[in-house]
Amino acid sequence: MSVAQKLFQYPETAREAFIKTEDIIFRDGSRATAEEVWKYLTEVGPVKYPNAYDDTEYHGRRISGDVTLPFSLKHNYLLLTMDDRMTKAKENGVPVIFVQGGQSVDPYYAAGGIALRPASTGIWARRKIQGLDLYQEQVSSSDVKEKARRALSFEACNTAGYEHIQEGTLPVDMVAPFSCLRCSDVSYGLEAHRHGERRDVKLFLADYPMDGQKDKEWAIEYFAENMRRLIEEISGLTGRETTAEDLRNEIKVHNEGRRLAVEIADLWWSAEVPPTNGKDRRDLFQLGGMEVHGDPQASLSLLREAKGYIAERVRKGIPGYKIQGNPARIFVCGSCVFPNEYRTEEAGGIIVGNDNHWSDIATIVEEEGDPYYNLSRAILSYPYEQSIKERAQWTVEQIKRSRADGVLFLYNWGCNTQSAIARALVDEIKKETGLPTLIIEHDRGSEQLQNRVNAFVEMLK
Amino acid sequence: MALNSIERIKKRLEERPKEIEDARREGRKVVGWQGYNVPEEIIYALGLIPVRIGIGGDDRLVEVGARYISTKNCVFCRETVGLFAENTDPYVKNTDFLVFDATCLQTFRTAELLQYYFGKEVIVLGVPRNFYWDAAKTYFQKEVEHVVRRLEELSGVKLDYTKLKETVELYNKIRSTLIKIYDFQATRENYISWDEAYDIIQAGYFLDRKEYLELLENVLEELEEKQGRPVIEAVEDEARIFISGSVIPPKDRKLLDIIEQVGGRIVGDDLWSGIIPYLDVNIDEITPAGIALAYLNRTPHGALPYLELESDRRVKKLKELIKTYKAEGVIYHTLRYCDPYTFKAKETKDILQGEGIPLLEIHTEYAGSDFEAVRTRVEAFVEMIKAKEAIA
Repeated sequence: MSVAQKLFQYPETAREAFIKTEDIIFRDGSRATAEEVWKYLTEVGPVKYPNAYDDTEYHGRRISGDVTLPFSLKHNYLLLTMDDRMTKAKENGVPVIFVQGGQSVDPYYAAGGIALRPASTGIWARRKIQGLDLYQEQVSSSDVKEKARRALSFEACNTAGYEHIQEGTLPVDMVAPFSCLRCSDVSYGLEAHRHGERRDVKLFLADYPMDGQKDKEWAIEYFAENMRRLIEEISGLTGRETTAEDLRNEIKVHNEGRRLAVEIADLWWSAEVPPTNGKDRRDLFQLGGMEVHGDPQASLSLLREAKGYIAERVRKGIPGYKIQGNPARIFVCGSCVFPNEYRTEEAGGIIVGNDNHWSDIATIVEEEGDPYYNLSRAILSYPYEQSIKERAQWTVEQIKRSRADGVLFLYNWGCNTQSAIARALVDEIKKETGLPTLIIEHDRGSEQLQNRVNAFVEMLK
Repeated sequence: MALNSIERIKKRLEERPKEIEDARREGRKVVGWQGYNVPEEIIYALGLIPVRIGIGGDDRLVEVGARYISTKNCVFCRETVGLFAENTDPYVKNTDFLVFDATCLQTFRTAELLQYYFGKEVIVLGVPRNFYWDAAKTYFQKEVEHVVRRLEELSGVKLDYTKLKETVELYNKIRSTLIKIYDFQATRENYISWDEAYDIIQAGYFLDRKEYLELLENVLEELEEKQGRPVIEAVEDEARIFISGSVIPPKDRKLLDIIEQVGGRIVGDDLWSGIIPYLDVNIDEITPAGIALAYLNRTPHGALPYLELESDRRVKKLKELIKTYKAEGVIYHTLRYCDPYTFKAKETKDILQGEGIPLLEIHTEYAGSDFEAVRTRVEAFVEMIKAKEAIA
């Protein structure tokens, strides 16, 4: 039995301004006009996916409500149309590849595939079933997740889409993550597919060397070989050869996204009052990874447009939706998890940045020369994957740029490799910045977690 | 009654810490190492004293370690950090440098923390996960050469290839003698138990390797005198258990004692703290690169993923060893948060079920709180194997 939902509605008053904004341009050359986006968000979306519109206070994924920020609406549109777009791409012969490991996705797209991380596969899977309210959707997700835990280990920090791939919910063609320090479960989770039902899914591991890897020529060469083989494997699916020029061109596209995200971050951080709420900030910064929506061109469309809006808000001192006063600014380190941004804001705080994924977005790939080598060198120099001191030094720079008042280290339950260095990293950051820090284990968004975050916010204020 | 030669090993182990202390006073350097792919031969050939670091079973040290590393890390890593935090273990406090490999990422993190919190000089050996590729082999060879260079810098000694040749010969003899001794533990006569063989293997972590070989040869001689050639056969009324899964380092006795107490007999293992690192080491070229290749070509550690189940050498080896040692059931030991092995538990169970071999997973830590729960499960498993035998 489902309970009555409190659903978000886009106000008609926002329509006129919105429909004058830019089209979204997709990788296959098609477009969605702002008017089409509006129609979808207000007419189609609420019927197909009522759970996405659930406006319950504690729903961490609820729609941000910042209706004067076109990015926010278009981002939602892309989230809601994930299944439609992926299905269309599959019909056109584009292979979908499941990725993990905090990498840039340039090589996957260069080879003609679509790269989706666990969060994106989760979004796609949620869009596969229509008409569910939030409760029904959460029960359905938990149910399928349990199957994956039985096939993997109950100590897996997350099952990372295993269930969707092995249950056949998502027609993923290949599982090809990066092994790296960010997550030890990546390679074990990949290996587990070998005993799953779906034997047609190709498996590949891009092997990320450890320890001082960016300073070792032989490590860069080895990883470049991984990139070559990855591209060859994907090309085997598409049936077309991928040239070095293809990769170089793709790097340029992704570099633009990365640069835009960094420029937007600098604008956002420079503002007296936060120009968006925390949820929109996170979505916007993360777009620089060019992965979230499974379409780098669409991501670029949104980033290009968003930069102007953020610049204007900063110039005019316009605060983000429901941002009041001077919130305590928190920088988040650690695993790929977050506290509930809305509830953090209710408590008087705001999340201003994070190290996970920001590390790869902030790393620009050299465009001249051998693209395999350049990509390899850039990936192996992600600050997040370096030694404790080096990672801390880079994180301190981000903390200073974001003018954070406190640092939260969150690690997911069962996340061995991030939890292992939580204290050391936080000790080093505290030594360098003198800021208050807090380490919390993230146990899938519990009340206790948020209580701790809110207490931290209270202390900062 | 234990063999005289085994008693001698125990005695020499008691004397070893002081010898190492004395050797350091005379200017010798001690290298503590941890991992699966560290080629110890090279450390020895450089004239350094290799000591394999890491013990288990001490919940207090786990707690000490957890002040630095997270409770989401396996107890072996936590206890290793605890050992360095406390710095009273005679082997740990006498290390000059450390070599840790990145086979298991948690070992890598342990190395980082030993550097960060305790100022230890740690050389990390990168280990490729696509270990079966030629490019990965080249990468690993370069990594081993890098470790050699770092050890040369730190010790001020150049690697002498004549010495390396002698050392490889020494280590080859150690390996072959260990394998011969190990076969005796699974025989009907049982002059040496699996426990004793396991302790002998782990004595080699600390004793001088030349002397260690002599001691092993004494054990083998004594066994051959008593028994001649070992013949491995199933024995009625025995529950012959094979141990697989996570590391069981020196001093971690919980599960092993329970199996013995409830009447099970361990007859084999594929633990990286057991016999497996000594099997299938074929060094064709006596250079650091050649040794690196031989190490990578052994049965891979569970932390290294292999994407095809049918041709997985680790699985093949497990089946082969179960058959060789006439084991009737597998106790699959997993430490909490030991992902390399917990992720494989169900898969291994399914595979062995297909071979008619039952598998019991024991998921545990070093705390004693689950002792009775583990005992009940192991007891039932042993009873089940015996009952199956009786029916057959």
